This record gives sequence, C-alpha cells and structure tokens, in this order.
Amino acid sequence: MVNLVALDSRSHRNLRVSRHTSREAAEVNVVSVIPREFQRLVAHYPIFFTKSTESGRFEPAALLGFRQKENLYFVDGRWDVAYVPLQMQRQPFALIPRRGDVAAGGPVHNSLDVAIDMSSAQVQTDEGERLFLEDGAPTRYLQSISSILSTLVSGSTEAYAFTGKLAELNLLEPVGVNIEFVDHSEAKLQGLYWIASAALKALPAAQLAELRDREFLEWMYFQMASVAHMSSLVARKNKLLTDG
Amino acid sequence: MGDITMGADAVRRIVIVGGGTAGWIVAGVLASRYPRRGEEGVAITLVESRQQPPIGVGEGTWPTIRATLKQIGISETDFLRECEASFKQGSRFAGWVDGSDSDEYWHPFTLPAGYIERNPAPHWLEGPRERSFADSVCFQSELCARGLAPKQITTPEYSGLANYAYHLDAGKFVPFLQKHCVDKLGVSHVYDEIARVESDATGHISHLVTRSGAALAGDLFIDCSGFASLLIGKHFEVPFVSQRDVLFVDKAWAVQVPYPDETSPIASTTLSTARSSGWVWDIGLMSRRGVGYVYSSEHTSDEGALAELQSYLAERDAQCAQLSFRNIKINSGYRRQYWTHNCVAVGLSAGFLEPLEASAIVMIELSAKSIANLLPSSKTALQRAARLFNETFRYRWERIVDFLKLHYVLSRRTDSPFWIDNRRSESIPESLRESLEYWRYHSPWHDDFLQREEVFSAASYQYILHGMGFETQRAHWLANDGERALVLQSMSEAARQAQALAAVLPTNRDLLTRVRRYGLQKI
Repeated sequence: MVNLVALDSRSHRNLRVSRHTSREAAEVNVVSVIPREFQRLVAHYPIFFTKSTESGRFEPAALLGFRQKENLYFVDGRWDVAYVPLQMQRQPFALIPRRGDVAAGGPVHNSLDVAIDMSSAQVQTDEGERLFLEDGAPTRYLQSISSILSTLVSGSTEAYAFTGKLAELNLLEPVGVNIEFVDHSEAKLQGLYWIASAALKALPAAQLAELRDREFLEWMYFQMASVAHMSSLVARKNKLLTDG
Repeated sequence: MGDITMGADAVRRIVIVGGGTAGWIVAGVLASRYPRRGEEGVAITLVESRQQPPIGVGEGTWPTIRATLKQIGISETDFLRECEASFKQGSRFAGWVDGSDSDEYWHPFTLPAGYIERNPAPHWLEGPRERSFADSVCFQSELCARGLAPKQITTPEYSGLANYAYHLDAGKFVPFLQKHCVDKLGVSHVYDEIARVESDATGHISHLVTRSGAALAGDLFIDCSGFASLLIGKHFEVPFVSQRDVLFVDKAWAVQVPYPDETSPIASTTLSTARSSGWVWDIGLMSRRGVGYVYSSEHTSDEGALAELQSYLAERDAQCAQLSFRNIKINSGYRRQYWTHNCVAVGLSAGFLEPLEASAIVMIELSAKSIANLLPSSKTALQRAARLFNETFRYRWERIVDFLKLHYVLSRRTDSPFWIDNRRSESIPESLRESLEYWRYHSPWHDDFLQREEVFSAASYQYILHGMGFETQRAHWLANDGERALVLQSMSEAARQAQALAAVLPTNRDLLTRVRRYGLQKI
C-alpha cells in the first residue's frame, strides 16, 4: 500500500533514499511521459498516446513492454538505458495537496507539498541519498526531485493542451499492434493511438502554422520517429526469450 | 436521360413547417444527407411561429438516436452536456403483471446473446427458469439493476459496451438542434405564421403565405406542425384514425422532480410503474427526474390521478408541496395517410401514441430517414414515394399499437376496471390477437415480422412476453440438442459478461459527471 507522507526537514533529516527505481515501481509496461522529454525519449523508447482511465483524455506514454508489468528496459533491477522517464526518476516522491488546503477548495499548483512514499523499497536509512543537510536545508538530490515534480505538473498541463488539440483536429488514430516473437508467442496491444500521418498531410496551412507556433509540430514528429523503437523493443524481448 | 435540375418539376426546395423535435430532426437529417453547396443542392427552410409552446417533458429515445445524431454531425459530448441527457439502457416495468411487490421485469436494449443465429426463448422456457428471461439471455439487466453506465469514459463517442439510447430534456434538445442545423448545416430559419396554403392545379402545394405576407415556395413540404397538423390535417383533410378504443390512456400529469442531492443515483432505464388507471413514467435526466402519470379519464378523475401520482412520489420521498404539476391531453392515433401530393407529415401531425416504450422520437427519426432515402429528383415521381412511405408507416404505426397493447393484454391485474377492460377482446387489434394465438405454439423470432427495420424487433416482443409470464407450448419433438447446447453456452456467456462489465463500468451518474468535465473522445 502506498503510504504518502509530506516531507519534513526534522523528522526526515536522516532519511536516505536509493536512486535506483524499485522493482515495484519499475515493473509496468507503459509509463506516462510529457512532451518536454520527447527529445530525449525519442532516442530509446516508442511513444504513443493512451487514454486516461480517469478522464478519457489522451496522454503521451512510453511503451516499455508487451505484457502487464513487463519493462524490457529494466534489466536485473537496473535501467538498461541512458535516459529514464521523469515519471520513473521522481520515484518514490509525489506532490500532495498541502494539509488544510483540501477542505479549502482542493489542490492548486502553488499549495502542493513534496511527499514520500514510505512503503517504497527505495526508502532506506543506511545507504542512498540524503534529503536534508545537517542544518535542515534540502540536498541537491531533493532539489532535483522537487524540480522534476514541478516539471511533471506543468508538463501534464502542456500534454493535455497538446493532445486536446490533436484530438480536436482529428490528428490521432488508434493503432493495433500485433507482434510475433521468436518463440512464436504473440502480443496484441490495444488502446494505443498515434499521429494520423494522412490527416497531418491534409491539414490546412493555418492549422499547421498553429501547431508549429505552439511547438506541437516538433513533438508530433518526435512521436512519429519514436515508433521506430518498436523494433528495438521487440529485439529486447526476443533476446530475453532466446537467452532464457 | 434529360437533365431536369433546372426544370419546373425538380425537387430542390424543401419547406418544413414547425420547429419542434420533429422539424429540427427532419431538417438535420435532410440537410446532412443533401448538403447545401452554395446556390446548388437542396435548399431547406424551416418556418415556425414563436407562439408554439413546447410540449417538452423528459423524453426517452431508442438506440437509433445515436446513429441519427452522428449523421447530423453532432458531437455526443455537446449533446449530453447541453440537453440534460443521460444514458438509457431500456425499461423496467414494475407492477404490470399482478401488482405484487415482487412484480418487476426488464426490457433491455441489448439483444439476447447469440440472438442473430439462434432463438433462446424455447430453451429458456424448457429450462428451470431460476432467473428471469432477461437476466438469463442478456447481460444488460444486471448492469441496469446496479445503476451502471453503458460505457466508460475511455469509450469513444456513440460507442457502447452495452446498447444504449438517452433520456433527454426536449425543451433543451430543440434549441440545441436548431443552432446546429442553422449554423452548421445551412438550414434557413424563418419565424412566421402560416396564414394560407396555395396549391397548383394538380393539388400540390405551390407555396405558403405567411402572416407577414411572405410567400414560401417549395417543391416538398414537411408538416411538423404538431397537433395543429396545419398541412396534412387542416389543408389536405387527411382523416385521423383514433386508437382510443385500443390504448385507453388519454391524459397525463407531468412533473419535474429534483434529486435529493448531487450524488443521487441516476437510473439508466425508464422506470414504468403500473397504477390503478394507467402507469407512471420515471425518467432520470442529468439534473432532475421527469415523472408523470398517464391515465384513462374514463377510469379515473383528474383529481384521483393527481392523488395517485403524488402518492407515488411520496413513496419515493419527493416533497410534493413545492412541485408544479402540468396536465397534458393525449389523443392516441395516426393519420390515414402521412404523405399526400408533395406534403409529408412527421411527428405529432402524423400521429401520436401514448408514451409507453418511447415511440415518438424513433418514429420521427425513421420518417426523416425514409424521406431522405425515398426523395426523388422530380415531382412527377412523388406519388410512388408517397405510396411506399404510407405503406411502410401504416405498418409501423399498427405494429407499435400492437406492441403497446401487448403490455396491457398480458397483465393479470384485476384490481381496477382499467386493467380488466384492457383485456376485453374487442379492444385488442385483430393482428395482435392473431400473433398471440400463434405465439402460444411458436416463439417469435426474425421471420415473424415483415420489415427490414422493425420499430420493435422480435427480441423486444420476447422480453415483454416472457417478462410477463406468457407461455409458449413446449414441444420436445421440435427440440434440437445441438442448438440447445449453443443457447446454453450463450446464456453462460451473458452471465460471464454481466460480471466482467459490472467490474469495469462506472455508475451512470459518475460517467455523466465525468463527461460534463472532460468530454468523450471521438475515437
């Protein structure tokens, strides 16, 4: 069970946290990503769009595996890739509404506290990174975590603006993924969407200009290019199957 | 063949009289099927007087409405948000069979599992009948009983995990359709009153003269003027065929009831509860319920009916004191013809039957679609279109009358003259009597009905017949073991699906609230 506790420089003064994503957090086959990291993701991961189960809105996501809990980039308890999505880097921290604010009308961006999941295997007391210095000031590690968390908040707003525009212009389409691996086992993935390239080609100039001006066009091409990594993802899976 | 587009006989200008649900659905269907292209194409004008008070009560629809709205080019999200609409998955009938406390059955929109290939009814009848017919053959009644929505927030617009239609507020639906038809589809909209109808030598309407003196010329006129029936009734004097001697209810008390609070469940079926002299409809819209008692004035007084409706509401904790009750007259019946010369009637001007099973809007949709499908390019071909339309719709109205009457005929209630009179054989149409006699020895299925697009399919008949305890004779010599095994398989599949869907579907209110907030995706 997730046990989120707001960070406190006194009670968490000596707490240490491992930088290595825990198995529990890493073992997912899809991770939500933000457009600001597309440029780095595109070097390693296939990026698609999935629908949020909460709102039905499209969200960008990196595909990590073909079955539930299969993360082919996470090998022997370590990330086997030069760039780890922010959503994984921020583990085991999260933002929670500042205490007292919930009743006052719900969370807003400037009243969020950094919290830590005390149930995470990354939370340790003898090794790993410290969160606070002796005088109670945050360490550079905690500062980087805070910065990742706020990047994810603004990134999520940007992501919804981006996918909302794509949906409005009918620039998304569902994509069916059917793959056969070396051992003849098969994977069928549903619920993935990508840029409808035919619709993009047919887009009127004015709308295209808007996409360009808002950086959306760049992000779209990153997404389209990233799909090439489906073959490296399949290769990772096949290697796993062959090596036993 | 000659090009007649410029000829005097071309059918290019369509004038719709009346701006209610019928007028705007017809306008939307025709304008989306025959898009305006500048001066080319079909020109559609809708004329209505501002005085017309809307009939609008909370209304039920059939799943056809999804295809209709989609064709008109309406976003489901916009529709749900702006028309107070909620999801409807069928009807629940309470007290219709014997009036006891446990007397209840479902008529879900989803067909029985495997229904296209095999008829489940004979096998259900032969079985132990531990569960009701609807529960045995279809997963949807279980979802309805749990107050679940027919889809998820991730399900695209107009798609469902279970078949569904809507409950909507007609008072909001009409201006919503109007805006779409005028802004997006180029329908011309005129506020004026019809003062005079002008005909040519052959009796075809040439133009309408309005109160302000304008002449509205047209090639085809569509009478959507409601009960006023300005063209088909007043001008062409096509007689009205009353069905009062079959369907007794002729009046209704209607009321809007607020929900106790913002988290109260929204039922995703129309609840229809039998009372002494008719039945109560109870429809869950987004922000309120629409409730009404349809009754026979020959069997009870207005005051008596009002008291019955109030006791229905009181049993459900509604505070009657603050509510305002409206009385509505119902004149069940239809025109002898709907299309004559270059005039076709759609909606209340063509006919109206009591609101049981919500046939009004589906008949408007079917009429609009049929006009769009039959529309000839020349007036010289209108007569044939009229004949086809009249035959089709005469059949449809008759089948609806049969289907509605079926609910009353199968009742075993003896507590009031209304229910007893409803079973008098002289009040039962010959066609229904014949069917019922046949169905004692044969379970209705696809071949029992003549049209490709029946208003109520054989599945609907089965849900009512077997929901109400009608017996078809079991005939072991007609049994087919192979088929029986497949039907039993379909039944366990339905039970499995009910559990699987119940685990993933949100409640009706939860989904409607999320749609308001986030919208549904088109894909």
